[in-house]
Amino acid sequence: MARIELENLSLTFKMRACKSITLKEFLLGKIFTRKAPPDIIVEALKNVTFTVEKGHRLGIIGHNGAGKSTLLKTLAGVYYPTSGNRIVEGKISSLFEITLGFEPESTGWENIAFRSYLQGETPKTIASKKDAIADFTELGDFLNMPVRFYSAGMLVRLAFSIATAIDPEILLVDEVLAAGDLAFQAKARQRMKDMMAKAHLMVMVSHDLGSIESICDQVIWMDHGSVRMFGPSDVVVRAYQDSVQSEARAA
Amino acid sequence: MYAYISSIWSYRYFWFSLVQNDLRQRYRGSVLGMGWSLLHPIAMTVILCVVFGSIFQQDYRFFGPFLLAGMAVWNFLTQSIIVGCNSFFMAEAYIRQQPIPMAIYPLRTVLGLGFHFLIGMGLVVALSLWFVGWPGIVPILSIIPSMLLVFLFSWSLSCIFGLATVYFRDTRHLSEVGLQILFYLTPVMYPPSVLEGRRLGILLKFNPISPFLELIRDPLIYQKLPSIETFGVAFALTLIAMVVAYSALKASEKRIIFHL
Repeated sequence: MARIELENLSLTFKMRACKSITLKEFLLGKIFTRKAPPDIIVEALKNVTFTVEKGHRLGIIGHNGAGKSTLLKTLAGVYYPTSGNRIVEGKISSLFEITLGFEPESTGWENIAFRSYLQGETPKTIASKKDAIADFTELGDFLNMPVRFYSAGMLVRLAFSIATAIDPEILLVDEVLAAGDLAFQAKARQRMKDMMAKAHLMVMVSHDLGSIESICDQVIWMDHGSVRMFGPSDVVVRAYQDSVQSEARAA
Repeated sequence: MYAYISSIWSYRYFWFSLVQNDLRQRYRGSVLGMGWSLLHPIAMTVILCVVFGSIFQQDYRFFGPFLLAGMAVWNFLTQSIIVGCNSFFMAEAYIRQQPIPMAIYPLRTVLGLGFHFLIGMGLVVALSLWFVGWPGIVPILSIIPSMLLVFLFSWSLSCIFGLATVYFRDTRHLSEVGLQILFYLTPVMYPPSVLEGRRLGILLKFNPISPFLELIRDPLIYQKLPSIETFGVAFALTLIAMVVAYSALKASEKRIIFHL
């Protein structure tokens, strides 16, 4: 069962102006309190409410800094909401920044194991999937090399293959496909379609409106942390394009 | 707490494979490999025995195992704190990827150090049996629960100091200085009898490390079971550290990512 439900979800980052206080500031701050820099408050998500049932492919679009990736990470449970409810049913697999979660000094094979264990696999369940993952990456002997020698495209291949091989119920993808070469992009798109055929759920963030329209059937348009529009992909993408164009004309 | 522990257990393949990997990487490309883990404490002890044995006029047959036991426990505890300070920063990539119990990352640190602690303890046992003699089956077996206590204490400290560093970056440097001072106030290099009767002797009573040193040294070096009091104090210290670590993690686990 795969299902996502967000209800009035808000996420506020509170950051100190210089990330963390040093001992000097800690001691001096007590004496000269007015000198302490004020906290920076970012309202990354504001009252986001939507529900996606299984079998859907949800795209998230919007300008830079609109909260797309933050929304995705909140869905993954990496960020905890400041207020509101997050209900996510199903086993999640996520593909965020591509180099994240690799041990650079370890080989591709070893990293396949680490990543899979992180996603809850066991040595038994991995044994059967390992070769399938390796085949899908088409990296061959490169898998015996430490991943710090890998190019961005090779990392994407590895990360994508692992993330999709465990047969997740919910797949969260953040703009990573673009780094793979054309052949791999086609292959990846096909695999996502296969996954959808099994009635799973996918959420994808991208600036490539073309691939959003071809892969997703529902789209959320994020604007300054709020949902500006939520509906069928062609309608929302059209509205987004119109808005971008009219802004460009006004400028 | 039980649910938290079982959640950590459910990710056992993840952290266990990472610890294995850490140990392999550490000696990657070196000729002796894991041999260094064994050689390092041996070399340390030989040097210290020669130097301090002649200064303190102690018999090396007593002083060798005594020192090695002290160094093994001290190094494990203090490295857990110092390396543990960075355990959440080192795990940033995983923390940003998947929400899993945060105590796993200090556990990774402490298990890697614990491997060297085990090797060190193996040496201590061998050396003390050879130089000091067989203490009897009960004292020998008592070091197993003692080592478990040392491990749990280290893991808890590692969590506490790791969290503290996330919110307050100076923690690592402060604790390095603090431990340097504590080192001279702890009977690692000298027998506790040196301080007895002096004013500094009172510090031994309130030193949180010395009960753990006694737990290991009493059976091996002095050939007696540690007193119930020593066990009790070590157990209480471990329990307090665990409760503090657990409640600190529960309170701030979800906010860590915003401070990395």
